[in-house]
Order: sequence, then structure tokens, then C-alpha cells
Amino acid sequence: MKTPVKKLVTAVGASIALMGAGHAAAEIKIGIAGPMTGPVAQYGDMQFSGSRLAIERINAAGGVMGEQLVAVEVDDVCDPKQAVTVANRLVNEGVGFVVGHLCSSSTQPASDIYEDEGILMITPASTSPDITERGYELVFRTIGLDSMQGPVAANYLISQKPKSVAVVHDKQQYGEGIATAVRDTLQDAGVEVAMFEGITAGDKDFSSLVTKLKQAGVDYVYYGGYHPELGLILRQARQGDLDAKFMGPEGVGNKDINTIAGDAAEGLLVTLPPSFDQKAENQELVKAFEAKGEDPSGPFVLTSYTAVQLIANGIEQAKSTDPVDVAKALRSGSFQTPIGTVQYDEKGDMKSFEFVVYEWHSDGSKTPVN
Amino acid sequence: MQDLLYFFQQLINGLTIGSAYALIAIGYTMVYGIIGMINFAHGEIYMIGAYTALITITGLATLGVAWLPLVLIIALICAMIVSSSMGWAVERIAYRPVRGRHRLIPLISAIGMSIFLQNYVHLAQGSRNIGFPALIEGGFQFGSGDAFQTSISYMQITIFVTTLICMTLLSLFISRSRTGRACRAVSQDIGMASLLGIDTNRIIAATFVIGAALAAVAGLLLGMYYGSIDPLFGFIAGLKAFTAAVLGGIGSIPGAMLGGLILGVSESMTSGYLSGEYKDVVSFGLLILILLFKPTGLLGKPEVEKI
Repeated sequence: MKTPVKKLVTAVGASIALMGAGHAAAEIKIGIAGPMTGPVAQYGDMQFSGSRLAIERINAAGGVMGEQLVAVEVDDVCDPKQAVTVANRLVNEGVGFVVGHLCSSSTQPASDIYEDEGILMITPASTSPDITERGYELVFRTIGLDSMQGPVAANYLISQKPKSVAVVHDKQQYGEGIATAVRDTLQDAGVEVAMFEGITAGDKDFSSLVTKLKQAGVDYVYYGGYHPELGLILRQARQGDLDAKFMGPEGVGNKDINTIAGDAAEGLLVTLPPSFDQKAENQELVKAFEAKGEDPSGPFVLTSYTAVQLIANGIEQAKSTDPVDVAKALRSGSFQTPIGTVQYDEKGDMKSFEFVVYEWHSDGSKTPVN
Repeated sequence: MQDLLYFFQQLINGLTIGSAYALIAIGYTMVYGIIGMINFAHGEIYMIGAYTALITITGLATLGVAWLPLVLIIALICAMIVSSSMGWAVERIAYRPVRGRHRLIPLISAIGMSIFLQNYVHLAQGSRNIGFPALIEGGFQFGSGDAFQTSISYMQITIFVTTLICMTLLSLFISRSRTGRACRAVSQDIGMASLLGIDTNRIIAATFVIGAALAAVAGLLLGMYYGSIDPLFGFIAGLKAFTAAVLGGIGSIPGAMLGGLILGVSESMTSGYLSGEYKDVVSFGLLILILLFKPTGLLGKPEVEKI
């Protein structure tokens, strides 16, 4: 299905380039890179759904500087090696702008390529601070950082006055980064961190870990990582009679955790970006998603929508499709988007981004905790 | 007392996982015993067993069948049938046409088979983790009050007992039945066995089928125990089971059992007393040590009957 479309796009692009010989093509290609398959494909769905609708709506409103946006979608499976492959493919496709990637461990290596090739990248989901730490000119995000999310989680835990807390992570860039931030904040506040330990992503047997948590007698467990592992830990914790409350970052907060953990997911605490789809000013947009039969409530749907919109706004403000000019425009401007007013600092991080603590329920719904 | 209970809990965790590893390891060890090759598609057969069991359980639930023993038996039978036919097909497609050629050729065709099966399930079932219903819940508690309590779940007992039953039946089958005797004959000398009128093709196919059926049992049990399955989970389980088979002495059935248990217990003890991060380091470190110092494995002496 996809290949013929892509071939067509390439063919059209090539013929236009031949006809125009030096003139800009009458379309602006935006690469969308995220996991379409693999264990975290659910998040990829959010990213693609948000980006596609943004492109449709911008095109319907006349495009950007009279040119239409064209999506080039690629699947990185949330695998760093695959991310490099698809990033190179986007370079060959001649895209100037990328919305992606999703997993921090994919975004990091892919962003090296984009920066070198002069492609502007906005990640709607990667929260690892390292990504914007390298002084890159063309790397942005529409999400907060682990260094913001970790303290929100830790401060909530501190407010619950726990006896002791265990911090577990999946040894990946995202999971370990956020777990480290949580541990440091807890320790600074004098809360005992009884355990700080990694597990292997993709592992299935956590009975030994559960036994160890039980032995440690902790009343809270913070898990840095994604839902496939935490779902199993929750379930095996219930089987092993561990009564501790669990908490995780936005990587665990989606409905797939309910199919894995079942009732054991009840009461899980999750830090998530605020529910942008609940905001009054976004209701028109929410209806547009619902009209397409898509769900705008996932944490990365509107951040992805915003990423596309920012690219469009940036191009208009810079009056140029040169990614370097657009990056300058993004750094200097202030933009009204579905996720609020966006302003960037020098590193490409948003100047402010808020995370909220939610309680997750066994039916997949969530309620804010205060 | 506390520490002792903790130790027992980790021991039980390890024995449970270990016995499931042993069930999968049988498939490696039997095939190696007969044709001297490693069936690299075996992990995928285990994964397909787990998927078949899950599909059957879901199907039965929609049909309204709720009596647990019946559900489990039907799921088990379906999983064993599908996995066995996969095992048979792997032998027919990836091994038989290239048997007797250079050793690398069947190895590569088996890896190809493994990639094919993995991706087939990816396409047919999607790549997400699918939750496996917890059918057997509850368990026993030891220890009292606020102190650490050792708990043995019924699920853990089921895994352990089922493995023991399967191993006993398999040993009886190999030592008593006509086909079992033929298996032993083929493993000792395939050429001589065929001269004496044993249909070696049939016996080789039978070992693939038996190994696959046991892998399906492990698939159902571990699916329920862990709580979720995905198309890639056969790969790592296959590696672990292969390690168990080599550890115990590849080609030896009691060796597979012993290897599985040692591996399972050493994994859970590493997670319990060191850190979960070192779990795989220890299991594959053990494999390297065994290969360096006792390449035949713990029970894999040449004079031990190989099958």
C-alpha cells in the first residue's frame, strides 16, 4: 500500500524538480518518524494521527506560503538502529523537516543525522534532556524534559511521606534518565531510597524483583520505562502479594497497560502532560479528530499536531523553507498552539511545560490527583 | 528466619522458571541428540504455542466455556497440535532437504525459518504485547505477621508439577516404547539404524514433533505465569533454553532438566542478591564457562545415552 504512494510522491517530486530546474518544488515534505510497529506502536499511532490531521488542516486552509505539505512516513520500531536507517531514508527523500522520533533512544542517534544534513527536527515525545544538551541548532521538542517530569513525580511521592521508596528502571535512555531524576530529588528531600535497580527491557519474569521489593518493605515503587514491563511487574506484584503503590512516567500511561496488568493497574500513579484535549480552546480540534474516528486524548496526539503546526508557523514567519531560517524563527517567536503558548530557549526546549500526576484505573481511564 | 524465607522465595521463583526452561530445552537437546544440529526455530515454536493457547482460551471464553480444567486442557491440546505441526513443517522445509550437507547449511535455513515465523506472527497477530488472562490465581503463604512471607502460587506449583509429569512421560516413552527405542538407535548410529529397517526420516520428524509439543506446554504455562506475550518473546526464551541444554549436556534429557533448573535458580538468586541487571550476564557467563571447561556439559558424557 505505502510503497506505491511513496514512489508516486518521489516520482512527482523528481519530475517537478526536473521541470523547475532550480526552483523550489510546489510542496514541502515533512518526514514523520516514529514506531508504527513494535512494542510501543500505540504511541506511534498517537504521533501519526496528530501529525496527519495537522497536515490535512493546514493544506485545507491553503498550505504554507501557498505550498502544500506532504507527509513522508517512516517506521523506526523504537529501535535506535532502525531510527538511523529511516533517518537516512528521509535524507534521501529530500525532506527539510521531521516530526519525530518518539523514543529518546531513537531520537538521539537520528538527530545527529538531521543536524548534519540540515534538517529541522521536532520531537513530540522524547523527554531525555541529553537530546537538546549538545548545542544543536535544528533540534526542538514539543514536550517537557525528564528533568521536569522526574521532580513532579518525586515531589508527589515526598508529599505522601513514604517510609521508603524503591526506584526501578529499564536501563534505557528514557527510563534510566527519569529514574535518576526521581532518585536524586527524593534523596535531596531526605526520603530513603531503599533500592535503585535496572531490569532488562523485553524481559518477562519479574518474580525475583517482586520478592526483593517485598523484602525491602517499600511502600512506593517508582518505575522509569515503558508499559510492557511495568504491566508485567504490576501483575506479578499482585501474584506475589506485594502491597506497594506504583508510579511511572508518561511512558507507562496508555491503555495497553490494562490489557497486560488487568485489575493490577488500578491505582497506578502516572505523570502525564496535562490533558490538552480537555482545554476549552481545543474543542473544535477535538471534534475534528473525532470526526475522523480518532482519539485525541493520548499524551502525544496534540504534541505531534503542534510540532507540524510549529513547522508551518516557522516557515511563514521566516518566509523561507530553509530549515536554518525556520529554526531561527522558532527560537525568536512565540506561538499559539493547542498545547499552549510555545516559546523556545537556545537549546530548543520549551520555556515552560507542565506535568500532572494522574491516578490510572483498571478500565483505562485516569483521574488527576491533587 | 526472615532471610531464610527470602531465600526460599527466590529458590521457588528460580525453580519455576527453571522447569519451564527445561521443557523448552528438551526440544534442543532431542534434535541435537538425533541429528547433531541445533534447531534455531525452536524458540519461535514455543512462542507460537503460547499464541495458539491464548487464541483458544479467548475463543472458549466467547463460546461461554468457563470450567477451568476443560479450558486448560483444550488450550493445551490445541497449542500442542499447532506447535507440533510447526515442528514437523520446520523439519520438512528447513532440515530434510539440506540434511547431510555441510553443517552450516541447515543452521542457516533454521535461522531463516525462525525469522520467517517471527515475522509471520508479527503480521498475523500484531507486534504489541497481548495480555494473557490469569486463569490460576491464589496460593499458599508461609511465615506470619508483618515479617516477610514466602508465597507459593498455585501457578508455580502447576508449572513445576506439569514439567515433572512431562519429563517422566518422556523418559518412559524413550526407554520403554518402540519408537523410543528407535530414537535411541538413530541417535547412536543413523546409518546402522536405517540398515536395520528403522524409518529414520520418521524418527527424526518424531523428535521435532515431541520437542515442539513440549515447547507448546511451556508456552501455555509461561504465558499464564508472566501475563503477556509478544512475537519476540520466543527468541530470548529460546536462547535461555539453549543455554540450559548446553549447561546440562546437550543431547541428554536429564541434562536438560538439570540445566534448566540450575539456570533458573542462578538467575533468580542473581536478581535477588545482586541485581536484576546481572541476570543475563550470569546466565550467559555460565554458558561460556561451561563451554570453556566442560564442553560436554554437566551430564553430557559421551557414554551417557544420547537421544
